[in-house]
Amino acid sequence: MEMKNLLGGGPLPFKKVWGNATALLSRYQKAWWIDVILLLGLVGLIFGMANVAREWTGVHRPKIDIDLSLWALPKYTFFSLCRGLLAYLISLVFTLVYAYWAAKDPVAEKVLIPLLDILQSIPVLTFMPPLVLALVYFFPTSNVGLELAAVIMMFTGQVWNMTFSLYQSLRTVPHHLEEAATVYRFNWFQKATKLELPFAAIGLVWNSMMSMAGGWFFLTVNEAFQLGDKDFRLPGLGSYMSVAVANGDWKAQVGAVVAMTLMIVALDQFLWRPLVVWAQKFRVEEGSAEDFMHSWFLDFLRRSQIFQLLEKLFHRKPAVAAPAAPAPAAPRPLGTLGFRLARGLSLVFFLALVAGLLYGAWKLLELFRQVDLPHLGLILGEAAATLGRVLAAVAVSALWTIPVGLWIGLSPRLSRIAQPIVQIVASFPAPMLFPIVLMVMKATGVALAWGSIFLMILGTQWYILFNVVAGAMAIPSDLRESAKMFHITGWRLFRKVLLPGIFPFLVTGMITAAGNAWNTSIVSEYVTDKGGQVLMTFGLGAQITDATNKADYPMLVASTVVMAFLVVSFNRLFWKRLYRLAEEKYALGK
Amino acid sequence: MALDIKEVKDPAPTVPAAPAAGTLKLCEARDVSHFFTPPNGKTVQALDNINLTIQPREVVTLLGPSGCGKSTLLRIMAGLIQPTKGQVFYHDQPLKGLNTGVSIVFQSFALFPWMTVTENIQTALQAYGVPPAEIEEKVQKSIQMVGLAGFEETYPRELSGGMQQRVGIARALSVDPEILFMDEPFCHVDALTAESLRAEVIDIWAAHDKNPSSILMVSHDIAEVVYMSDRIIVLGANPGHVVKIVENKLPRPRDYRSPDFTKLVELLHEIITGHEIPDVPEPQLAPNELPSAEALPEALPSEIVGILEYLDAREGKEDVFRIAAETDREFGAVIQVVKAAELLDFVDTPKRMVVLTPEGQRFVKATSQERQNIWREQLLKLRLFKQVYEMMLKHPRKKLDTDLAQEIIIFNLPSENYGKIFETFTQWAQFGNLFAYDEETQKLFFPRKRAYKPRPKTNGKTEGPGDSAGSAALGEPSVPPATSPESSAPTPPEQSVAAPPKPDEPSKN
Repeated sequence: MEMKNLLGGGPLPFKKVWGNATALLSRYQKAWWIDVILLLGLVGLIFGMANVAREWTGVHRPKIDIDLSLWALPKYTFFSLCRGLLAYLISLVFTLVYAYWAAKDPVAEKVLIPLLDILQSIPVLTFMPPLVLALVYFFPTSNVGLELAAVIMMFTGQVWNMTFSLYQSLRTVPHHLEEAATVYRFNWFQKATKLELPFAAIGLVWNSMMSMAGGWFFLTVNEAFQLGDKDFRLPGLGSYMSVAVANGDWKAQVGAVVAMTLMIVALDQFLWRPLVVWAQKFRVEEGSAEDFMHSWFLDFLRRSQIFQLLEKLFHRKPAVAAPAAPAPAAPRPLGTLGFRLARGLSLVFFLALVAGLLYGAWKLLELFRQVDLPHLGLILGEAAATLGRVLAAVAVSALWTIPVGLWIGLSPRLSRIAQPIVQIVASFPAPMLFPIVLMVMKATGVALAWGSIFLMILGTQWYILFNVVAGAMAIPSDLRESAKMFHITGWRLFRKVLLPGIFPFLVTGMITAAGNAWNTSIVSEYVTDKGGQVLMTFGLGAQITDATNKADYPMLVASTVVMAFLVVSFNRLFWKRLYRLAEEKYALGK
Repeated sequence: MALDIKEVKDPAPTVPAAPAAGTLKLCEARDVSHFFTPPNGKTVQALDNINLTIQPREVVTLLGPSGCGKSTLLRIMAGLIQPTKGQVFYHDQPLKGLNTGVSIVFQSFALFPWMTVTENIQTALQAYGVPPAEIEEKVQKSIQMVGLAGFEETYPRELSGGMQQRVGIARALSVDPEILFMDEPFCHVDALTAESLRAEVIDIWAAHDKNPSSILMVSHDIAEVVYMSDRIIVLGANPGHVVKIVENKLPRPRDYRSPDFTKLVELLHEIITGHEIPDVPEPQLAPNELPSAEALPEALPSEIVGILEYLDAREGKEDVFRIAAETDREFGAVIQVVKAAELLDFVDTPKRMVVLTPEGQRFVKATSQERQNIWREQLLKLRLFKQVYEMMLKHPRKKLDTDLAQEIIIFNLPSENYGKIFETFTQWAQFGNLFAYDEETQKLFFPRKRAYKPRPKTNGKTEGPGDSAGSAALGEPSVPPATSPESSAPTPPEQSVAAPPKPDEPSKN
């Protein structure tokens, strides 16, 4: 790849023969049609954006009608895509600010990281009522408020992962590189752009991929929701799906699923894959598992002239492009004005944050106090039921994904084929498949109390599969060879070699899956069926959704607090310990 | 004090960096002491009252075994670390923050893997505030200087260690430092390449009209130090302190084979052995006198056995530096092993020689089972092991919490890093099958049976409770515990919970 760039695309002999007069020639060697396609794509994008802008600033309608014809799908898909990307951009900005703050300010870190842990465990739906009401209040005449609310709810489904990843990376920048940066007097901006962000890039890209999938998960809820007696709806793929379900329109439902799949595949091919391949440049160690990854789209882009021009602009002449920072010639010991300013600023923000948190906690407590004891008992009972479902979902998922994941991961050929597919399947928002499962459940007479476990599995199993495949691929071949030499086969092979080998990965997968299952409970225990008919079962998730729909804020707050508490303490007491065991005893480190 | 870069920015390419005055001090460390606290341990003193001056136009090296704080001293003089006590001066100005006249060549290269060779150097120059117009030229110059032409667009990971260090040197030189700091620069470079790099660095330094004026290098390679430096600061460990300063007036270019060169190498050998394994006889103890416990040198049992075998194959004696050279180990590490073997009374160290004692010879000749017994006997002559042994016998269930064992270590050796000593302690004890150690319950206990092990070199990985050839091995150590009236054999019945074979045995390090 690098060589291609070096030579500017054209075969060497031409350059030698024609010297500088090759401009005309080389234009034809480069694929001009790529530029045409790119330009067309750009025009299309601008048109689409204009459409989105019109939609956003349009007059606010309390309830819009969704056109269920298949021809309307591209438009709706595009609207949803725009929301998702905008939410991602906000997530990125939030991540940069939050992770940097947490990593650089040891005082703030002590609050910010546990806070992140708690925020992560709060189901998306809980954020909804205050968000929607506030934003609609601020933008009473246009759709901006509602659109923003949907975007921000998607953001809450995306962001935590990325923030954790960046924070982790910032804390683990190799010491010798950090020292070199200090010796060569990098200022904070140079340190961030030349050292810390490049180091964090790979983790951030992979987590962005996962986060984006998390953002789609509640699409059907985010774009169409009730709050008390009000019905909010935005044009998009999620609302299309929910209307299709309510109307019992099978054709539209299948159409929406196909559109969603296509969107995810397109995002994977046009955005994530090129990014992943590009991020390989930032790897610190030799030979990683992603070595064989290719992106046809990135290759394609690299052949385009526009792209090369851009690359030249941004990449080739950093020396000239960055004359803005010639200042730091003087020694800048710690404790200079700028440093003190940053520290002061950080302190002010920190105090503001703590004050805000305390105020919020007090308000929550006020709401919480309105819940009487019987109701609290009810919530606790529901919590137990949901906890059982979550554990069952994780266990069942593990049961089938471990053998399958081993089978895939131990065969290099199979894993090469299967891994990208699993990635895409895992990105698909399971709630969109619920109506189909619901139909099967009705036909077989399974109650939602049990069926919701299955709905959870639908969403969570992929995280485990994903990790088991990765774990199986990471088992060193000499371990497997020695097992073979000593005739360790069958069950013994599984128990003594393979399971310990994948254990750390398995635990990681199960932690992610459990977190996800908790979140899923709010849509799997409370399902809307044909004709707006509601099916719900006894559980904390159902309670949260029900309370939201009835605008019963004390109950919403109480059940959310209980769920967050359960998730966080379960993480701390159970998963973290398991993870430590995995790291200490079963790590196949070098 | 204005940064030197300012001067360098002048169009005139060559700024005389060092005035002729010979007494001028470029950089000076005055009464520097440094303490640090590891994440879970007690404060350790790394440096003790160091005084060091770097003058214009000289190469100074810090020579010492690993752990003597020489890299820490270098970082303190570069301004990367603030010393706990004392101060660093640059051109007689007390240092605040980074030392402006210094750049560093790192042991691990510390190149940014996502930048090409050119970008690595460019980035350093940009951050230094060199005007954009001059950057390209400076990059080219430094690339030429270290012979990297043709590799401008290569990424570090595509280069060999030697070539990577060339980039490191080019980057360090590109910012035109008055003093070049090098932290074991050739440690991760293959021997032949290191040879050429040494010569090239000296050539670059020798050009009188250009920076760097002086070089401060950290090394543990004695020949390298003699080849390169004008002044050699020999450092000793625990805590790091100056043992001796040796002036090296050998004419350049230097010849490894010249008699003067070898004489200086010999001198340094004498200084180091005289300091590390002194011949002053340790006060011999009467049998019942309680000596103060010995700090256990950080050496694996397998290394100690290895050195005994090594000596046995060389008529029972060898020069310690010869051993280091032949086994390709750092001399500090070899000295640790020798000290450990000496502590166990397996070797003696007259001057620089290491000689097998009769006990050591007996050990080498023995079968592996006998070796274990001898090892155990020797351990029980050491105060630390004896104390823990006796404590354990007194305990009703013949077990001991590691906390308690560590307390004994702290009590006996208050100034040492007890975590490390405990690690060595368990490794030695397990090797002699004196105690077993269960990592999960954090307890020391007596092994259930002293089972026969095929080869003691791979330490205590007992394959379950071996019940075949164990009986003979139950023999008590020849030094009976002084106070243990009630227990006859240290194998209580409830010891059936012998630790299962674990994947991670302490042989890792």
